[in-house]
Amino acid sequence: MSEHVPLWTALLPVLILGVTGLALLLVDTIRPNARSNTTLSVVSALGALASLAVTVWFVAEGTGDVSTGGAIYLFADAIKVDTLALFFTAIFASVTALVVVAAHDYFDDHDSPAAFYSLTVFAATGMALLAVANSLAVVFVALEMVSLPSYALVAYLKKNRGSVEAGLKYFLIGALSSAIFVFGISLVYAATGSLIFSDVAAEIESLEGLAGVAGIGIAMIIGGVAFKTASVPFHFWAPEAYEGAPAPVSAFLSSASKAAGFVVAFRVFTEAFPIGASLVADVNWVLAFGVLAAVTMTVGNFAAAVQENVKRMLAYSSIGHAGYALIGLGALSGSAAGDSAVMGAAMAHLLVYGFMNTGAFLFVAMAERWGVGRTFEDYAGLARRAPIACTAMAVFMFSLAGLPPFAGFFSKYVLFMGAIDNGFVWLAAVGAINSVISLYYYSRVVKAMFLDDPESSSTLDTVDSRPTALYAAVVFAAVATLLLLPGFGPVIETAEAAASALF
Amino acid sequence: MVDAFAYVPAIVLLPFFSFVVALAAGRYLPKGGAFGGIAATAGSSLLSLWVLATVAGGEAYNETIYTWASAGGIGPTDIELTFGLLIDPLSALMLVIVTLVALLVHVFSLGYMNDEGETGLPRYYAGLGLFTASMLGFVVADNLLMAFMFFELVGLCSYLLIGFHFREEGPPSAAKKAFLVTRFGDYFFLVGVVAVLATFGTAQFAGDGSFPALADQALSGAGDVAWVPGGLELGTWFTIIGLLVLGGVVGKSAQFPLHTWLPDAMEGPTPVSALIHAATMVAAGVYLVARMFGFYALTPTTLAVIAFVGGFTALFAATMGVVKDELKQVLAYSTISQYGYMMLALGAGSYVAATFHLMTHAFFKALLFLGAGAVIIAMHHNENMWDMGGLKERMPVTYWTFLAGSLALAGIFPFAGFWSKDEILYEAFVHGLNDPLLLGGWVMGLLAVPVTAFYTFRMVFLTFHGEPRSELARDPEPVRWNVKGPLTVLGSLAVVAGLVNMVPVQKLLGIDGIDFLTQWLNNDFGGIDGVSYSAYNDLLATYGGYAPAELLGLSEELTLLVAAGLSLGLAVVGVLVAWRLYNVASPTEHTAKLGGIKDVLYNNYYLDELQVWTAYRTEDAAGGADTFDQGIIDGVVNGTSSVALAAGSRVRRIQTGLVTHYAAMLTLGLLALLVALGVSGGWFL
Repeated sequence: MSEHVPLWTALLPVLILGVTGLALLLVDTIRPNARSNTTLSVVSALGALASLAVTVWFVAEGTGDVSTGGAIYLFADAIKVDTLALFFTAIFASVTALVVVAAHDYFDDHDSPAAFYSLTVFAATGMALLAVANSLAVVFVALEMVSLPSYALVAYLKKNRGSVEAGLKYFLIGALSSAIFVFGISLVYAATGSLIFSDVAAEIESLEGLAGVAGIGIAMIIGGVAFKTASVPFHFWAPEAYEGAPAPVSAFLSSASKAAGFVVAFRVFTEAFPIGASLVADVNWVLAFGVLAAVTMTVGNFAAAVQENVKRMLAYSSIGHAGYALIGLGALSGSAAGDSAVMGAAMAHLLVYGFMNTGAFLFVAMAERWGVGRTFEDYAGLARRAPIACTAMAVFMFSLAGLPPFAGFFSKYVLFMGAIDNGFVWLAAVGAINSVISLYYYSRVVKAMFLDDPESSSTLDTVDSRPTALYAAVVFAAVATLLLLPGFGPVIETAEAAASALF
Repeated sequence: MVDAFAYVPAIVLLPFFSFVVALAAGRYLPKGGAFGGIAATAGSSLLSLWVLATVAGGEAYNETIYTWASAGGIGPTDIELTFGLLIDPLSALMLVIVTLVALLVHVFSLGYMNDEGETGLPRYYAGLGLFTASMLGFVVADNLLMAFMFFELVGLCSYLLIGFHFREEGPPSAAKKAFLVTRFGDYFFLVGVVAVLATFGTAQFAGDGSFPALADQALSGAGDVAWVPGGLELGTWFTIIGLLVLGGVVGKSAQFPLHTWLPDAMEGPTPVSALIHAATMVAAGVYLVARMFGFYALTPTTLAVIAFVGGFTALFAATMGVVKDELKQVLAYSTISQYGYMMLALGAGSYVAATFHLMTHAFFKALLFLGAGAVIIAMHHNENMWDMGGLKERMPVTYWTFLAGSLALAGIFPFAGFWSKDEILYEAFVHGLNDPLLLGGWVMGLLAVPVTAFYTFRMVFLTFHGEPRSELARDPEPVRWNVKGPLTVLGSLAVVAGLVNMVPVQKLLGIDGIDFLTQWLNNDFGGIDGVSYSAYNDLLATYGGYAPAELLGLSEELTLLVAAGLSLGLAVVGVLVAWRLYNVASPTEHTAKLGGIKDVLYNNYYLDELQVWTAYRTEDAAGGADTFDQGIIDGVVNGTSSVALAAGSRVRRIQTGLVTHYAAMLTLGLLALLVALGVSGGWFL
């Protein structure tokens, strides 16, 4: 950006989302009836797309990039806008846009859809704020800003027992995790005397006798991050929350909220606790993340393989993918080039995952909308009634499984290659084995839709309704998954450039 | 000045468009899309002539058009997979041959397919279009991988066209056989392509960074290759690569022992046979060897194998042609035999002679097939020569042109085949004096000459001479311009095409400058450095010790005369024997005199049976592999999956649904993490 533009404009993507949330409240106040569903959906989608457009423009212009003078710091260094932040903001805004469009049909007959839109957009604002946080205090506040709307969103179907129960469990586990997280922050503060990342990093090498305190703090921060990314052993809330929540909410949580957890992890652990300094202080968090990655993907994939319910399968698969993305932290070797390659690959995987996983959950939302059941058997023969949607779902499944020529293959391939180049062959091997297992349960969905016969010809009659907005969102996500194939080059380059600024 | 090379893609794309048009809209077009095909091949022909003229003007073209994959930093070398065009004297000449034959075949099809009221014409013309386009793409390919792709497309098209009458019993099975047998050879070719890419990091045919050039540098110690497996010597490894690629050539060019598909392929419509035999499928194999001759010239062992296989195939196929009763069967075996000659020429190091015979053969074999097609139209699709006879008076145009083609095939002076075949035998002879394997090839090639002349004229006499032996032959169906036109064009070419390279005349009479083809392929008009006859001769002399020898101290002229006289004399003997036996009013079968040999020849040396037997033994071996796969591989896979599923149910059981359990496990997990990090970091000390 040119010199005479005020610096705070670098926060435009966040601000647009926040203003959109407020505007939604305003719309609901002026027209407090259910018929405003369309207006609300349009407003929130426009807000998300505007935020996305500004973000993409910023990335193209090089805002916060090394080439244009480096990251932009605001509010006494509490905020830092750089390419990493913009990259993740793009993920949040895209997923939000998809979800609010799809929600239009999903909440068509709901009593009060207004709260859904504002909660979603506020949560997205929190995520975007997380992405630019440069202080542990801002991280905690933003994290709560993401979490609190999420609890309400999971329990959004007030009359649905599953939804309410899942919301309550999510809240309880979330409260526990937040407590651990904020306690970890306080311990780090106690040891280093600062909350700003760069100051923490400066202090952490010279801890005299306080290494244990800082170490316990860092481990607890790992716990907080693991909760947000639904990683083992903080993952217990995820299957139930994703299954009980309305499907658009599951899509939002499993894609955007997970990515928000990763942006915190990537930033905090590279800027506040850099590898070299942490090893000096005897805190080997790389190993911790490596183990977490391996355990998380194994637990996620093995559990997903035995599910009967498609939505629950997707919930576990989402845990598995968190494991893959954790490789971005678990396979760091301390060499700048190799580290930015593997972390950039993890970021690219999260972007691709944002589209394919959101699309898959939105397909489930459509199936819920149609009233076909939730198990694999209930999807039998669906492709005959809804060929386009099922083709899109097949694209999501194969891309999630990492089959060529879909985008999921490239991101996973680059990720595993990055891990191997950094000397973490075991991690890549575990990842590859898990990918093979995942192919089993993903292809079960495709097999049911395309190859199996429905129980009776009338079971799928409800499928003939065509929820336009949901369809549009699913098809758009599929197109994006396919377009990321030729577009993968720029994505991985941006991601690696963003990551290289961290090392 | 518009650059002719800019239009080279159009040469390939025009027939491809005619394929698309015939496929999509053929049923709405007059004649089932035939005119589109004729227009497209005519356009390609004109463009090819323009390209030929441009090359004659001293220009050449060797450019990469499109890089569709590049692997940077993975593996030992950076490999780029590309599409590109290579237009030099060889490919320009081949373009003209292919487009011309394709055009004439399209025109002839009007008479053979449309006038005969065949159904499924759009499919037919679509197939012809794609076939032509694939072959043209193969001809202009500038690298081995692209050539392989089009090579496979050619194979696919031949499958589609041979099996055109898919409702009958024979054609689908013949198509399948052609597909499988050539595919068997192509496996080796594919491995060879990968080996070339792995060894050199490039598969370009021509230029400084091409794989023949790199191989040359590596052998002469001026360069190095990226990869050689398991400490093999360079020469050995190059020989292996050459033989692997040769696998595809042997399959496509119907060389022993993979020639068995070709006689069966006669089940296809006759114009398709003409196209397959003269200009596309079968020619592709020989063209490939010629295209990468710079590589083969480095491996004398491969060349000797090529020569011996070629010579053997020439003789072997010719003997089988002697006893066949059906017109097209005779032609089929003659094709195998003639391509054997071309392989013999390549093996003898005579790139020019092979190309020369490829060209003359393209004209006279297309002519013979189209002539046979005309006879078949006239005979209402009865192909048995014993039901013919006396067609000479009733279809004079067909007779005279067929006779010209037969004289060329038999190698009678001064028809086209004489010049090219004589040059092959001469080259094989003078080089063979130093190399027993090559000499063996020459002996067999020479022995095949009278046999060829015999079966060719047996065919001519049985078909056209004598008394009509059936009602059909007494009153044949007349053929129209669209049959006679192509026959006339090709008939003229069969007479004069040999005049482009009159090396013997030049040497004997000392008239310089009448060996146009040699000059052409020697880049005298222009071309690409390193891809020329003389460059190849240098390589052959360096690596293979190829040098012409003189017989018993005779001068070059005398050697030439002896060789030419010998082959011409033998050909005349063959013709005379056929004359004696079959040019009578009502000829009888003389095959019984052959005794036991007759059965062997009728049954094609039982090679089909041998292949079937081999296939069954392969099946047995595959059965063993299947048991291994089912029992051990699948066992491991199934075992893994049941372990995974069992473990999955365990994991699932942890998810009790009680939030207190979750909180407890979460806390325990965090504690475990703390302890692990603490112990490894030594915080508690």
